[in-house]
Formats: sequence, structure tokens, C-alpha cells
Amino acid sequence: MRALTFNTIDDTVLDTLRPPGWRYWLLIAALFGGVMLGAGCWLYQILVGVGVAGMNNPVHWGTYLINFVFWVGIAHSGTLISAILHLFRAGWRNPIARAAETMTVFAVCIAGLFPFIHLGRVWMVYYMLPLPNQRTLWPNFQSPLMFDVVAISTYLTVSSLFWYTGMLPDLAIIRDRAEGARKKIFTVLSLGWTGRHEQWRHYSRGYLFFAALATPLVISVHSVVSWDFALGVVPGWHTTIFAPYFVAGAIHSGLAMVLTLIIPLRRIFRYERIITVHVLESVAKTIIFTGLIVGFAYGTEFFIAWYSHNPVEMAIFQYRPTGDYAVGFWIMVVCNTLVPLLFFFKAIRTRIGWLFGISILVNIGMWYERFVIIVTSVAHDFLPYAWGLYHPSAIEFGIMIGSFSLFFFLFFLFVKHMPSVSMTEMKEIVHQGADHGA
Amino acid sequence: MNRRTFLKTAGLGSIAFAAGCSPEAEKRLHALVQAPDDQVPGQPTWYATTCRECPAGCGVLASNREGRVVKLEGNPLHPINRGTLCARGQAALQGLYHPDRPALPRLRVKGGWRTIPFGEAEALMCQKAQAAACPGKGRVALVTGCVGESLLDLMTRAMTALDSPAPFVYEPLALETLREANRRIFGVDGLVGYRLEAADRIVSLGADFLDTWLSPVEYARHFKQAHAVTDNTKAVLVQVSPFQNVTGANADRWIPCRPGGEAAIALGLLNEWTRGEKGTGLPGEVRDAIHRASGSWTPERVVETAGIRPEDFGLLVRCLADARRPLVLGCGAGAPNDATTHAAANLLQRLLDPELARIDTGRRHRLEQARAGGALHRYLERLAEDRPAVLLLNRVDPIHNLPGAGGQIERLRRSGTFVVSFTAGNDDTAEASDLIFPLAHPLESWDEYGGWIGLISNLQPAMGPVHPDPAPSVGDVLLSLAYGSRRPVADYRQWLVQSLMERAGLRQESDYARLLQHGGRFETPSEGNLPFVIPLVDAARGLAELPAPPVPAEAPVVVVAPSIRFYDGRSADHPWLLELPDALTQVTWRTPVTVHPHTASRLGLSHGADCRIRVAEAQVTATVYISEAVAPEILMIGAGQGHMAAGRYARERGPNPFLLLRLDQADGRTTLPMAVGPGQVEATGGRTPLAHTDGSRIQHDRKIALQVDLAHLQAPPRAEKPGLTMHDFPMTLPLPEGYDPARDAYSPHDHAGYRWGMVVDLDRCIGCGACAVACAAENNVAVVGEERVLEGREMAWLRIERYLDPADPTRVFFLPMMCQHCDNAPCEAVCPVYAPHHGTEGLNNQIYNRCIGTRFCAQNCPYKVRRFNWFTYAAPAPMQLQYNPDVTVRAKGVMEKCSFCVQRIKAAHNAAKNERRRIRDGEITPACVQTCPTGALVFGDLMDPNSRVRRLCDDRRAYQVMGYLNTKPAVIYLKKVVQEV
Repeated sequence: MRALTFNTIDDTVLDTLRPPGWRYWLLIAALFGGVMLGAGCWLYQILVGVGVAGMNNPVHWGTYLINFVFWVGIAHSGTLISAILHLFRAGWRNPIARAAETMTVFAVCIAGLFPFIHLGRVWMVYYMLPLPNQRTLWPNFQSPLMFDVVAISTYLTVSSLFWYTGMLPDLAIIRDRAEGARKKIFTVLSLGWTGRHEQWRHYSRGYLFFAALATPLVISVHSVVSWDFALGVVPGWHTTIFAPYFVAGAIHSGLAMVLTLIIPLRRIFRYERIITVHVLESVAKTIIFTGLIVGFAYGTEFFIAWYSHNPVEMAIFQYRPTGDYAVGFWIMVVCNTLVPLLFFFKAIRTRIGWLFGISILVNIGMWYERFVIIVTSVAHDFLPYAWGLYHPSAIEFGIMIGSFSLFFFLFFLFVKHMPSVSMTEMKEIVHQGADHGA
Repeated sequence: MNRRTFLKTAGLGSIAFAAGCSPEAEKRLHALVQAPDDQVPGQPTWYATTCRECPAGCGVLASNREGRVVKLEGNPLHPINRGTLCARGQAALQGLYHPDRPALPRLRVKGGWRTIPFGEAEALMCQKAQAAACPGKGRVALVTGCVGESLLDLMTRAMTALDSPAPFVYEPLALETLREANRRIFGVDGLVGYRLEAADRIVSLGADFLDTWLSPVEYARHFKQAHAVTDNTKAVLVQVSPFQNVTGANADRWIPCRPGGEAAIALGLLNEWTRGEKGTGLPGEVRDAIHRASGSWTPERVVETAGIRPEDFGLLVRCLADARRPLVLGCGAGAPNDATTHAAANLLQRLLDPELARIDTGRRHRLEQARAGGALHRYLERLAEDRPAVLLLNRVDPIHNLPGAGGQIERLRRSGTFVVSFTAGNDDTAEASDLIFPLAHPLESWDEYGGWIGLISNLQPAMGPVHPDPAPSVGDVLLSLAYGSRRPVADYRQWLVQSLMERAGLRQESDYARLLQHGGRFETPSEGNLPFVIPLVDAARGLAELPAPPVPAEAPVVVVAPSIRFYDGRSADHPWLLELPDALTQVTWRTPVTVHPHTASRLGLSHGADCRIRVAEAQVTATVYISEAVAPEILMIGAGQGHMAAGRYARERGPNPFLLLRLDQADGRTTLPMAVGPGQVEATGGRTPLAHTDGSRIQHDRKIALQVDLAHLQAPPRAEKPGLTMHDFPMTLPLPEGYDPARDAYSPHDHAGYRWGMVVDLDRCIGCGACAVACAAENNVAVVGEERVLEGREMAWLRIERYLDPADPTRVFFLPMMCQHCDNAPCEAVCPVYAPHHGTEGLNNQIYNRCIGTRFCAQNCPYKVRRFNWFTYAAPAPMQLQYNPDVTVRAKGVMEKCSFCVQRIKAAHNAAKNERRRIRDGEITPACVQTCPTGALVFGDLMDPNSRVRRLCDDRRAYQVMGYLNTKPAVIYLKKVVQEV
């Protein structure tokens, strides 16, 4: 394979920004249709009532919050890859950092939609903002949902700024080669980047600080999300392991989603020389690690339930693997902890097909993890009289399709109009060869 | 713009402006500029009247707000119910405001119905009746449900004036055979009262005195006077019946028997009592006579016939032998209901209780005037021969509850009889008549109905009529029917006053006003017992003359169970009752067929499967509910549902088991036993999901509905070391004393003056569900329908959880569950907008306006008492007139739950503030507390050391549900006291 040079990097990346063909637009149109489907479902729900979803008493939280946690989780590994691995100087993160960060930003946006969709009276959502009012009513900062408001908005702000800052030199490269209206747009977007030494100095400092700022957020945001559950009294939620467990789970799912996204990207955009198999392999190795943490967390939950001698706690952990939602539980265990173990075999973690298939399975498993946590716990909590089951309704599926469509809609628009690989960061490691210095 | 354009524009503009003022905007608001004397806007006006939902006749106070009755409560002065009401009584309002209640009479014409005004209908009836009276005797017939003495008197006289026979009083759940047994054994030709409160051992052979028997509210109160633990003792109830109902569920021991086996047990017990040495005290003749009747009923034969275990029969014998004040009750309207069982039970009672101290002949039930299905069948047969010109049916529905009556009435109609149905609602029989004549609802009319013979209890209109054309009362119709223009009095009200003047000794009409104020004249007609008219020997002979008890029907036997929710079906159109889960099955909206697990597996039936049950030609379809609450080899179906024609809630819903029954003709008498066999069952292959509200039948060893053994309670208390686990966590009252720095991070709340709390005595709760319906009525709780209940979206703020003992599923525990108003409420902390809010008096307030619907509170509530408005639930007009104006009607997207009836607390605050005093203990009664027939619920201030609730918290039985979560609930439960019999 020919070695990468600055020019080949620029050419490869800028090639992806050529005007797309009709197939691309057809796909975009289909995704837009999916978005409209979700929007229509939501509108219907607003007009008729949240009853059009399948939630009930006792399971008041359903796929809306499952998807919320799922998307927040997806969002996590983007920042992990771009910020934490940047601090650790892991060179293999550079080719995929941009795609992962884009995934983060869009996933947070979509995650942020779900609490709104979930609300019974979304038109009253401003009650959650600390707006001064004549009745001096204030939001309840004791509530984990308020923590969420703060955490998610902080995360969205920081990750989008980080994302945008990182893109500046690349935007300037595009500006320099663009013409016409495109040039004007990118002139504005690149904020007057000239590549002066001073600018580079500020840029690299700023990027580092952002990375340092985003790093604790990776830990804190999903910890906060986990407290939505852990601060409740519900058996199966009320445990101290939830914060690390959720963070590990989030990274697990996010890494899988990164694989899911970049494997086709690599192929379509002919990024094979940039996103080398070694990069994918590194992601796969990290997945083994997070999968082991998640598996350990599952085991710990069971152990603590048994060790607590609390009949309610024990019952819920008996219910999960054997009760009404046992299929979901076993999908979760197999896909999240057992299947990633296959990555121990080099033959598997270097084969694109395997990597892609397993990443999909982990995504499914992680979705079911949230389902198992959210639904089974309240379906069988303290009062046996009040036990009940939950099944998602067609409207919920519509909104779920809408959310996935929206994500891919945004992502696909991005990759065709913005540099999906950071040319700047690739150039930083070009001297390290195909292994990217790992 | 020229002149023409200007004029055109101006003209169009003004027309548009005028058209914009459409009548749509004109919403009628109550503006009582000139209010009636007794009405103050915002204040309820109470009218004392009488409940007419069943023949028991409880006293009612109807709360009228701004011209509409919004709530019914028991009349505290009324001796029958003492201020309480059952679920059906509470739901009477829904009959008044029923959306399908006919507003105008309907006349059958070719190919359909014609709506006619009341005047025309009355004229038509008068003409038919007068014409019929001319040619000869007996041309007009009248069948009526149980009515008061004044009305019955008018009916009798009106029929005499029409030269026709006396009215026939029909009640499907009448106890004619009990009346006959009373006549033979006690010498009282009527239905005597029972002093359950004075008994220490009660053996009931199926008398469902907590469900429908005679006067359930009255007997529930009396029963719990004896059966709730006081001074560490309590009475024992042993119930023998083929199926468990509320009475069976409250028995200390329920013994399942074969339907019809009750007679064998009664005779067997009698035999035990007179056999050998025990009978030596009796005169020889008595012994001989009893021996003739019961001598052949050896324990072995009893056990075999009744299908019970030998030790259970021994238990019954022992139970009565140990008793100091025994009481034996016969059977209920369900099951065999034959005179022999009743007579044997009566005679046994007379032997055990020679003074008949537990029998009250002064309190005779009005139901005694009524005849049951068999008699009505004979009556209709006779009518078929007499061919009357007019048949008047007053509030009876034989087509629904008497097999074959439909055909009989149809034949009468074909032979030229003009059938008129007086109905307050809409029923199957009305739909099959020539003229449907809607009557004023009892809450809209003047009348009088004493639940006991001699008791005077008034009915008065508690509001103006619901419909614009007011319907007359049946008394008014009869006056014009019988007398035309020559009527002796102007209207029925005057008739009533005159009649009461005679009977109650009123001197002037103003005395009647006083009577109305109280609700009636409530001195018990005669205290104590009348002397026996019948010597014991004649009583014994009376029993011996009766035919041997009928042979139990062949298995599987279909048994019809009178329903605590629907009675005989007359309440089946009231959505509150439909949404109230059945006490035993917890199924709403539909009546399943309950089958014992062994029988189900023998017949190949599975839970939830639809099956077709056939007896001879008749068949019904029902869904199988498998439960140990029935004896093996029976198919138990609750009565009341399966109406062919009724309002929207009852029509074609559930099975009508009455259709399966067969009239029994033996010894020249026709009876309608409520059990019939053999039934043929086959699964249809379909399945109907049952809308049950219980997630599990058992408690899974959690600290929820607790029990304590009586023996344990009698032993001196042992100090138990408190800990932090579920089973040794101490009581943590929602008061500063309930906080312990070792356990609590936060300091206690500062409550201002009061800390409201409730005590629920599980030993008193019978699970009847009256509280749940009262709550729905008071708090505008939405009815969501079967489909939504299946989705798990019922809205009940108060529910009665039913748990079974996993070791013996026939032992039942009821636990009323409502918001616990925790001091340390898990719901309060998690809401982002403070919609659940801890009030200054400890109430956990739910601020509907503030709620945005995150539903976190409901997720975090360990008691799962919070209810979310998944949709906007609207009541069909005119049911919205019943809404309590003091309580917000919630719209979609907000959470709601029990508020401890905060509107009543606020009203008490206002009253106390006006009088510059504190709120007195017992001054506030939330709707559930107010209506509980057994006084299981107590409400009050926990901060007051002398309040009833506070003192009950110190009871040894006190505990908190899931208290170990340290929620510090303000609802304190007292453990149910169980005893081994």
C-alpha cells in the first residue's frame, strides 16, 4: 500500500465532498420520510394523549426513555474517542475522531428530543427551566430529571463546540479549494482561518483544553443519566453501581455504533488507507474491555441482590432472566458480554464482515439492556398487586423509526458536505505509518 | 372606494360580525341571582331520602350543589345503615344521570318505536285500563318490585278500583322459603332480623349477608361489631357454601360444599344435636318429630351428600358446641334456597338459643312482601289463562332474570295484552313491552320506603328533574290510571302525606316537614322479641312436614351467584360498579365463570378461555376464571350481566346465567333454584382477556397485607428489637418522633397545626368496595372502560387489593390501598417541577396545573397509587352533571392520586376558622371513611395525641405497608386478626 502523504489525505477526503448521485438523494429522501413519520406520530400523540403509546401503570416509562438512554449512550464514545483518547495520545483515534464526534453531536440532539416526546404535557416543558415568574415557582433541583436537563445541555454545548473547533482547519482547506457560493459558505464557517502560526498555537491549546473539559463530562453525563434510575427507590434501579455501569455501557454501545458507522463509510468513501484495519481492530479491542466491564456489572447486580437478602431485590433479579421479559434479558447478556468476546480472536477482529455484524449485535444488545433495566424493574416492583406488563405500541415504533431516520439523515448529510475525516489530525500522524503510532 | 362598494363592504362586515356571535359561545353558567331559599352557591344542601337500589332501604343524604345532586352519603340517623352506604348505593347517582336513561315514553308501533309525550302515554294507558276495567274482573295486572307501604297501599287500592287483583310483588332475590321456614319454626310469617352483633359463633349455610342477603350494609356493620377484634377476642364465622363471595372471603373458615349440600349439613347438624345424650333434655315428641326429619342424616351421609370432608363436619359441630351465643343462618338467595334448609337451620337455632336472643322479630325486612321467580312464573302462567287487557310492570326485569318470562310476556302480548313497563332506566323487559314509560328516578320523586316493616323512611326529590320533560312517579300514574279525574287526592305526594299521617301519627302537614328533615321516623318499631306463637313441638313437626331436601344436581353444576356489584342485574349499567373490580376475582367489566382448578383440568378448560355452557336448550358463553374460591365440579357465574337491551354499559356485556336456570316443579310448587345441572361445557376455542386489576394473587412474602394470630395477640407482648430489614423495621410515624438521626439524613417536616393521617383496620375491612366507588363519586375519578383496564390504565384512586394465602388460597386478605401521604415521599423528590408537593399539614398534594407528565413520581411510588391521565376521559352527557364542583376534572397528560379528600379538609378549615377553633377530631371524613359500612377507615390528625388515629397507632397491630423503605406513610394499617377454627 502506498504511504499517505498530505496531498493524498486531502484528495481522499475532499473527494468525498463531490456532488452526490441520485442514489444518495433517494436515500436522503427516504430518511426524510422516516423523520416525517416520526414527527407525525409525535403530533398525533400530542393531540390525543400519551396513551397512544403502550405505557401504563406500573410501567410509566417505555421506549421513549429507553431510546433516550440509548442515544445518550451512543453519544458517549464520540467524546471518549475524540477527547479521552486524544489526551492519551492514542493515534488510532485520529482517523475516526471526526465521524465519532459527529455521531456524538447528532446522537445527543436525538437523545434530547426523547424526554420531550415522553412528556404528558410537552407544551408545559418550560416549567423545567428556572425562569423567573411572579409565583416564584422554581424547578426542583433535587430531581434527577433536573440534573439531566443541566447535564445534557452542557454536554451538547461542549461536544458541539469541541466538534466545531476541531473542524476549523479542515473547513479552511475546503474554502481554499471551493468556488462560488460554496466558497462563501465555507469562508463564513471557517471563521477566517488562515493557518498562521499564532492560530495554530491557539487552536491546539484550545483543542486540548476542550478535550480536558469534555473528559469529565463523558463520565458525568451518563452517571447523571444513571441517577434517573439509581436515585429512585425501585428495586433493580436503586443501586450504587449504576453510574460506572451506565458509563461503561454507554461507551460499549457507542464504540459499537462507531464501528457500524465507519465500516460502510470506509468502504464507500474509499478510506481504507486512512481508516486502516488496525484502527478497527483497536476499536474492537476496546469493545472487549467495555464488554467485560458491562458483564462484570451484570454479575455484580445479581450478587448484590442475593447478598442483600432483600426479598424484593432478589425477586426482581430472579424475574429478569426467567420472567416475562427473559428473551430481552438473554439478548442483552449474549450480545453485550458473550458476543464481543469473539474479538479475542484476531481472525475475527480483523475481518470487516465480523466486525460489522458484531457491532450491530452489540447495538441491539445495548438497546435491550436499557429495556431490561427500565421495564422489568417497575413491571415487578414492590406491590405484587400492581404488577403489570408493557408492550410498545405502533406509535412508539413510528417514533423510534423517526429517531433512527433523523440520526442517519443528519449523519449522511454531514458526511457528504463536511469532511468526515479530520485532515488536520490525519496529517499529525501521517509520519507514523499505517499503524498510526499505536 | 365608491358609495356602492362602501355599502357592500359595510353590509357584509356587519353580517359577518353578527354571524360571529354564534350560540356556540353562550355557555350556561349558574348565576343564582335569585337562589332558592335553601341554596347557597358553593355550599351543599343535603336532602334526606332513601336508597332504592335494593330492597334493604338504607337512608341517604343527597348532597345538592347548585341544583344538582353530586354525591350520596348514608344518613347517620337511619337505623339500617347508620350513615354508610354500599358500592351500589353510592353508584345510584349514575342511574339518575345515565346517558341512556329514556327521557320520554316510547310506544311500540309497526316496525319500531314512536316517542310520545308523557301526557299522551298516560292518556293511552288510562284509556286502556279503564276500557279493560269495564268488561269484567281481573283485566288489569300489576307486577312490581319491592315498594314502600304507602305505594303498595295505593297500588292495591288502584287495582281494586280497576276491579283487578292485588299487585304481585316480585324480587328475583326474594327469600320466600326463608319466610316459610320462619313461619313454621318461629311462628313469624316474615323475614326476621338477626343480631349478628350478639353472636360469638356464626355458622352460615350460604347466607351472603355481606353481599346481597336481606340488608348487607346493616349486617356488615353488625357482623363487624362481633367479628372485629375487641379486648383480644372476636367472634367466629364459618361459612359453608359452594362458592366464596365476600361473605365467604371474610369467614374464618370457608367450607366448600356441593350446591344443595347445605340442606344435608343443616339436617345433619340437627341430627347431631338431638341424637343420643344431647337430645335427652328435649320432650319426646319434639325428639321424634326432629328425628323423623333428620334421623337419616348421619354424619357419613351428610359428608357424602354435601361433598365436604368429615373433619369439616366435625368442625361445624364443634364450633356450635363451643359457642356461648351461637347463630345459625340458612342459605342465601343463591344455591338451593329451599324451605327445608332454612327450617332446619331455624330449628337448630331454636334449640341452641331457646330464647331466640339472636333473632329480632322487631326488625322484619321489607323483602318479605316479595315473591321470587318461581311464583312469578306461576303468576304469568295464570295470566296467560286470564288474558288481562293490560299488564303493568313496575321496575321489574323478569325477561333478564327469570328464564322463560320473555316467552310468557310475548305470548301475552300476542294474545292482546297491552304490556306497559315502568322503568327508571332501560331494561330487557321494557324493550319487550308495548309501552316503555320512564319514571322519575327515586332521587327525583316523593315516596316512602321503610326497609323494615313499620319503619318510616322518606324519599324526596333531591333536585329538579334531569330531563326537560319531567317524568312522573309511578304513584301519580296509578292515581290517574285508577281514578282518572275522580282522584281522591291531587297527587301522589298528598297521598303520601295522608298515608303517613295515619301511620306515623302526624298531626299536621308541618310534621311531615320534620319527618323529611330527619329522613323518616326511626324509632325501632318494637323493641325485643315477640313471644313465640308456635310451641317447639309444632315447630319440629313443621320441619318434618316439609319435603326432603332436593337431591343435589348432577355435576358440573351451574351456580348463579347474586352479585355484590350488580345485585340481580339492576345495577349492571352503572360504570362505577363495572369498573370496580370484583372482590374475589378482581375482574372488572365482565363476569367470568369461576371454575376450580381440578374441574377445569378435568373439563379441559384453561384460564381465560371462552367456553359455551349449555343446560338443556339454554346456553351462555363466558370466560373461564380458574380459582380455588369455588367448590370442585361447579361452574359459578355471577348474576347481573348479559342484558339484551339496556344502557350502553350493560347491553350485551358478559353472560346472563339466569338463562341457564330451570324451573323446578316438585310437590305442585314451582321454584327457581339458583343451581342447575348437569351443565355441558365446551371451549369455543376463543379467548377473551379478562380485565383484572391484580398483578399477582399472592404477596410474595412481602410486608403488605399482614395478619396476626388471635392467640398471639392474647399472649403478653414481647419486645422486639427493631432493625433495618423488611421484617424488623420499626414503625416510623410521619411525625418528629418517627425520625431517627441514625436512619434519616433529613430533619422532620414542620407541620402547621395538623398532620393528617389515616388508620385502616384490616380486621374490619370486608373488601366490599364501597369506599372505592365513594371515592370515584367524590373526586371525579374517570371511568376508563374495559379496554383501558386491560392496558393497565384504570384510574381508581383507592383500590382494594386482594391477596390469597399461598398455602391455602381460600384464605383471602383485603387491603385498601390509596396514597399513603408519606412524610418521606419518594414521589416528591423526583418531580422536576414540584407538582407533588408536601403540604404544611403533611398532605402530599398533587398540583395538576404544575404537572408536566414526566411520570417519574409514579415510577418511584412504591405503593403504585398514582394514576396518569393517558387521555382526556370525558363522561357522556349528562353524567358530567354529577361532577363534584369542588374537585378539578383532570385532562390528559397529568398525574393524579388520592388527596385525602383535600376539599373536605379545606371545608373543615373554613368552618373551624369561622368559629375560631381547631378542627375537631372526627370532623373530617374523606369519602371512603364516610361510607365504610364496617368503620374500617379512620381519619384524623396524627399530631393530636388524643385523636382516634393517633391512639390507634399505638395498637399492637399497627404497621406500615413497606415501612422498611422509610417512606413514613401516614396511612397506618392494623393487622388482620386470624384464628384457627
